[in-house]
Amino acid sequence: MSFDEIRSRAVSEWEALEGSDKTRIFIGAATCGRAAGAMALFDVIQKKLAEHNVEAIVGQVGCIGLCYIEPLISIAKPGRPHIYYSDVTPELAAQLIEDYVINDNPRPDLALGSTGEGEIEGIPRLFDLPMLKPQVRIALRNCGIIDPENINNYIARDGYSGLVKALGMKPEDVGEEVKKSGLGGRGGAGFPTGLKWEFCRKSPGNIKYVICNADEGDPGAFMDRSLLEGDPHAVLEGILIGAYSIGAGEGYIYIRAEYPLAIERLKLAISQMEEYGLLGNNILGSDFSFKLSIKQGAGAFVCGEETALMASIEGQRGMPRPRPPFPAQSGLWGKPTNINNVETWSSVSAILQRGADWYSGYGTEASKGTKTFALAGKIVRTGLIEVPLGITLEEIIFGIGGGIPDGKRFKAVQTGGPSGGCLPESLLNLPVDYKTLAQAGSIMGSGGMVVMDEETCMVDVARYFLTFTQDESCGKCVPCRLGTKQMLDILNDITQGKGKPEDIDLLQGLSKQINAGSLCGLGQTAPNPVLTTLRYFGDEYEAHIKEKRCPALACTDLITFYILPDKCQGCGICLRKCPSEAILGDKRLVHIVDQDKCSKCGTCLDVCPAKFGAVVKVSGEEIAVPSEPIPITPAKKGTEDSPESSVSDET
Amino acid sequence: MAEITVTINGRQVSAKEGMTILEAALENGIDIPTLCHHQDLTPLGACRICVVEVEGSRTLVGSCHTPITEGMVIHTHSDKVLATRRMIVELLLASHCGSCFMCDKANICELRKIAADLEVGLPRFQMRKNYYPLEDISPYVVRDLTKCIMCRRCARACSEVAGHNVFAIAYRGFDSKVVVDFDQPIDKEVCRDCGVCISFCPTGALGKPREAKEEKRGKPLIITS
Repeated sequence: MSFDEIRSRAVSEWEALEGSDKTRIFIGAATCGRAAGAMALFDVIQKKLAEHNVEAIVGQVGCIGLCYIEPLISIAKPGRPHIYYSDVTPELAAQLIEDYVINDNPRPDLALGSTGEGEIEGIPRLFDLPMLKPQVRIALRNCGIIDPENINNYIARDGYSGLVKALGMKPEDVGEEVKKSGLGGRGGAGFPTGLKWEFCRKSPGNIKYVICNADEGDPGAFMDRSLLEGDPHAVLEGILIGAYSIGAGEGYIYIRAEYPLAIERLKLAISQMEEYGLLGNNILGSDFSFKLSIKQGAGAFVCGEETALMASIEGQRGMPRPRPPFPAQSGLWGKPTNINNVETWSSVSAILQRGADWYSGYGTEASKGTKTFALAGKIVRTGLIEVPLGITLEEIIFGIGGGIPDGKRFKAVQTGGPSGGCLPESLLNLPVDYKTLAQAGSIMGSGGMVVMDEETCMVDVARYFLTFTQDESCGKCVPCRLGTKQMLDILNDITQGKGKPEDIDLLQGLSKQINAGSLCGLGQTAPNPVLTTLRYFGDEYEAHIKEKRCPALACTDLITFYILPDKCQGCGICLRKCPSEAILGDKRLVHIVDQDKCSKCGTCLDVCPAKFGAVVKVSGEEIAVPSEPIPITPAKKGTEDSPESSVSDET
Repeated sequence: MAEITVTINGRQVSAKEGMTILEAALENGIDIPTLCHHQDLTPLGACRICVVEVEGSRTLVGSCHTPITEGMVIHTHSDKVLATRRMIVELLLASHCGSCFMCDKANICELRKIAADLEVGLPRFQMRKNYYPLEDISPYVVRDLTKCIMCRRCARACSEVAGHNVFAIAYRGFDSKVVVDFDQPIDKEVCRDCGVCISFCPTGALGKPREAKEEKRGKPLIITS
């Protein structure tokens, strides 16, 4: 079967689906949707439909990136647009079937937005929502729209037309096209992809390899997982195009074993490609032959590093080796090898489908195209986004992400995972591209973006990331193995109030030398979280060391809970709820906290009735309290109408 | 092999293509300290003691594994390089057991020599040590992992010189160590009497067992008041 036949069949299948006279219901069933309860919706919806004897198409799609309101479903009645509903519980799903599918009421009060032709009164367009409007979805173009387990859906949306186009070009011209697009490696470093291919193509040798790096390990990052779960063929097409341009006959997808759904869908996608003649010998009748295997990683962060990744594929312990020789000269099994990240491969297929000029129309002069980010942390709308490079941090965090929840203040944003840095409020207008982020001391990284509010202690954040790098250090080179351990110990001391004034100089010295002396990127960038927090939040380090005070009230060793004697009404709630039995008191007595027993869990602060507000959390100051429970001063007694009765209601 | 010209510490020298920076420097009388490097073993680049500054390079590069290229400008003893080397020695000493007085190999210890050369005394850091029990059940080799600096010369010597594969690396970060079998004490079941690794160990981590009853054969020490 020729590709044109495959495509026309896929297109007619897609059109038949879109123009179907049956109602179509799609459920976002990537890992994030499943975690929120998407799989339970299938049964409920099927049952409800059967109950009413309605025939409908119920299918699954990938993740559209609106993690904060999962699970999402879309319902499209014949000839009407798709209507998306968010936060769908099984009860709500049943209700929606009842209301919309049966009784034809689209429930604008519950609907999130609509896509497709036609409009429904009272329901906005989905892609006009503040979270989606500023986005340009190129790598994620099909995520949440097509069925990831159906190759025909992908082909119907221009899928594999990039490969067909590439096979009609000379391999070096394909590389030129990618070079012209300005695409940089989306794994974090931003090295020009076309140039990387050229090195590998020009490397002598008949046997070459391409590798897709899907060993996504940054805390809070899930771009690659969502992409592989939502649109595996976009990545696979990119790999094929790259392999053709480089002259590679074999490829590997190195994916972490913690992504079972992505692995399952990749395996399915590969078997579908084989069926259609898109993998194997003489792909689509050309001279190009290619074999693709999946290698599952056993969960080592350092295996995201190219040389460690290749060692892992070869069956050795995943440890980086010195460069040169670079992978393009001597990589997997000693052969020239090209490694790119999942998102890069997906962008490659888009570039070949729609042209380099189209792609380079997005982004800035120096950084072209788009980048996906995983928004996480203290932000209203968490999720997966794709934006043109050059957009400011403020637009991402406050425009797309909706700002900080609960009226708290923004404090910092962490980009680039453990190799990146924390950027303060003053840098919010910073355009996001490779150069400006590096100048600010952070990195673009693979796209993790963790937002922190005023309750986050920056010393504690630095300590967290150092714990991560120390845990994940392979132990090969001294600066990384022992240096990060010393830095972590110093940070532990500081957060426990045992910091010494000379610690800051020591941290800075260690950081500089670990950066300069380490063998691989993991060690070289490991001090970044410490360096950026020292640079932008140095006063917090000072407060911890000199005043033994945690300004964010987060470091447990530096905070104290007190019960204010003039506010305590002696209700006894805190006394009963305290898990450490650290509160002394009795009815009508002012309660006090036994500081020796207190485990600083904060339960008393949470349970003290808001109208009393008697429990306070302080750091670096002492509040005078009686040494043992004393009777509540009579003057206080009448201030509340009747504290006793209202309290007994609550208890 | 073609001759190429590089600049080392401001002096133009010529060296053969394919040489590492370390080899080129040694050939021209410039001493660069090394720990994990050994001329009979493949370069590893683990200890980072041999780092040098190469102009145009973002970070310092390991001289034992980086080949020279035409026109390379190298500084082997700049302030930045020396500060990094000292830091590495300090880090190693801070996790080393520090009982040089009691160590059989104290006078041939390469770590001790480098520390003296670089004028590193007591490290500024807190002592963070992994204490491991002494492994002395094998009749051929005594292993004290507390003194190990993870240079992996033993592992490479065992596989490349002796042709066995007794050693491997296990665990991560500060806990990583050179293991035998599934982290078992070294024993005669897995290791024979070749003793190759002992001569490659730069510290006192690997040594020959003392002969049985060696001490008992000595004269009794009688202290008279």
